[in-house]
Amino acid sequence: MKKFLSIVMIMVMAMSLAACGNSAKTSTTSNKESSVDDLKSVKDKGKLVVGITDFEPMDYKDESGKWIGFDADMAVKFAESLGVEVEFVEIEWDNKALELEAGSIDCVWNGMTLTDEVTSAMSCSNAYCNNAQIVILPKDKVDSYPDVESMKALNFAVEAGSAGEAQAKENGFNYTAVNNQASALMEVSAGTSDAAIIDSLMAAAMVGEGTSYENLTYTIGLNSEEYGVGFRKGSNLTEELNKFFKTCYDDGSMKEVASKYGVQAALAEQQ
Amino acid sequence: MSILDVSHISKSFGNTEVLKDICFSLEESEVLSIIGSSGSGKTTLLRCLNFLETPDSGTITVKSNKIFDAEDLDYLTDANKRKNRLHFGLVFQSFNLFPQYTALENVTLAKELAAKREDNFKENKKAILESIKQEGLDLLAQMGLSDRKDNYPHQLSGGQCQRVAIARALALKPDILCFDEPTSALDPELTGEVLKVIKELAETKMTMIIVTHEMSFAKEVSDKVIFMDDGYVLESGTPDEVFNHPKEDRTIQFLSSFNK
Amino acid sequence: MDTFVEQFPVVINALNIGFLQTLKLFFVTLIGALPLGLIISFGSKSKFVPLKLLVRFIIWVVRGTPLMIQLLIIYYFPGLVFHNNVWGSNETGRFIATAIAFIINYSCYFSEIFRGGINGIPVGQDEAGLVLGMTKKEIFFKVKLLQMIKRILPPISNEILTLVKDTSLARIIALQEVIWAGQAFMKGSQGISGEIWPLFFTAIYYLIFNGILTVILGKLEQKLEYFK
Repeated sequence: MKKFLSIVMIMVMAMSLAACGNSAKTSTTSNKESSVDDLKSVKDKGKLVVGITDFEPMDYKDESGKWIGFDADMAVKFAESLGVEVEFVEIEWDNKALELEAGSIDCVWNGMTLTDEVTSAMSCSNAYCNNAQIVILPKDKVDSYPDVESMKALNFAVEAGSAGEAQAKENGFNYTAVNNQASALMEVSAGTSDAAIIDSLMAAAMVGEGTSYENLTYTIGLNSEEYGVGFRKGSNLTEELNKFFKTCYDDGSMKEVASKYGVQAALAEQQ
Repeated sequence: MSILDVSHISKSFGNTEVLKDICFSLEESEVLSIIGSSGSGKTTLLRCLNFLETPDSGTITVKSNKIFDAEDLDYLTDANKRKNRLHFGLVFQSFNLFPQYTALENVTLAKELAAKREDNFKENKKAILESIKQEGLDLLAQMGLSDRKDNYPHQLSGGQCQRVAIARALALKPDILCFDEPTSALDPELTGEVLKVIKELAETKMTMIIVTHEMSFAKEVSDKVIFMDDGYVLESGTPDEVFNHPKEDRTIQFLSSFNK
Repeated sequence: MDTFVEQFPVVINALNIGFLQTLKLFFVTLIGALPLGLIISFGSKSKFVPLKLLVRFIIWVVRGTPLMIQLLIIYYFPGLVFHNNVWGSNETGRFIATAIAFIINYSCYFSEIFRGGINGIPVGQDEAGLVLGMTKKEIFFKVKLLQMIKRILPPISNEILTLVKDTSLARIIALQEVIWAGQAFMKGSQGISGEIWPLFFTAIYYLIFNGILTVILGKLEQKLEYFK
């Protein structure tokens, strides 16, 4: 999937260059270097368009269909501080950078792990949450695979382009990239893969007692990582959000929202 | 005064000259048979009269109206073609009936469409359609096909199809009815019924041009016979002149091949 | 919401909403692509050579590239290249972009089927109409159209059944059709998370709808069997 997307991107870029000649080239470069006054354009249109996926407990719908969650609530507060409305738009996660560059969303605010790939494709805020990539195994196999070394014999399923995939690569695991974390879990449950690597925040909600995956459990953590919010490259909203995070962290309102969704322990200190 | 005057018509497809300086005329109520070997240009001549092909030179005059002049192609608009080709009817070798319509609908369709193009159609819609239908029924009766009016072409024999096609051509009341080898696509035992119908039409004084390989039929029904060879009118005259006293060697050779 | 009985109505409701979007896309595509396909087929037969070449080139490009790429290009290109996202971010904008991509794609496929269907009608049908004094328009609509429909119905039926399934490609630009709706419950949505069955359950929707279409198209074919 990742390979496919990079080909898409190359084709899109190549065709856009062909279509627009030099003008497209210069404007893309200028995008990277000079700053983009997104603050003004967001205020002009009166709304902040937030790209999300359905991802409990960060962004999800309540009974009435309203978007809630730690990220969603913080996004609402941030929009309020700018004096604009917030509009949540569900996106295809693989296309998040495309959505930003094409202007169909203003930011990606969805428990996004700050990988090199993400930070090179977007302008990212300071980290606001800590997270880890952890290994999911069927319960009956846990004892046989106590450490990374022994796990090298397993076939992993990971979300394409996710921090989980990066970890699988780094540890030299055999893996198959699937299109989201839930699919990775389904692979393990169906026995088509031996193990999966997913976010610890997600694992808490989706694996174990009272879920479809009662036969699965989480084992070791492979790393620690951070969540951040992504904006268009060079956007001046990034700085604006960092200031906002600092204020909320200091006055305790960030912790208050986090407690509501059970992620207060994962909060990152705002400098 | 001739009903039809064809003068100096020629026609080429690419480098092949198919018709070379064709001239002939036809009087009202006459039956003209055109004979000749395949590729002699008979069918192309009929197609020129019906505006399915455009001649490269020459004129065609019907009832003193010049309906085609190769010198004046601007006149040849789609509308004028449509109007003038109605002087002629054409019965095809392969019938070309419309498969999705019944025998009766095949006969009445063109007439109905023509009526719908008229301004006063809406006011008298019912009466007009009724009279067109009645004419269609009469024509089918004339062809001996009254009991077949609701059949579709694929349910009819070849001979019946060709009789429907003749009724369809007659529905538009052409001045001259053309037949392009009307029995060539039929089984031998079915040719009789079609020839009989044509003979009956000749008795009603219908002006006709028949391209045919049925020599004895041509001899019997025609007032005039043209023998075509390699794009030329090689010989023309009464059936007696052409069949019994041919002047050209080529005609003698052609006719003798039929008498073997 | 742990038991299947509790989950079922919630899931079905979400899938229904998703499938409504699928149906909407299906019908809008058909309504747009059938007539457009006919127009394109005339273009590809045009006697005006530049037009014919242009139309054939477009057909080649559209048929030669995956619909998925076409969706990405149509939705993201205006924003990426001209810095003007004409579609908007919300579901309506995404739907319009999707529908346009689908109509263009399918009308090109349809046009080739139409072209084959028109070319397959014997030239004698044209000539019979002409010598009976019909206009070209009358010959097309009264004589050839029904014969063409009869000829093209089997290949068109195939394309229509494929279209039903192809609508699932729209999720690449986040159009929330039925598969998207089913997948949401794997990640977690409306208090149900980690459920696999809704995704597979969407297959039932496709199966039933394609079943209905197969019956309707079969009836139509049967109806046209009265002539040969």
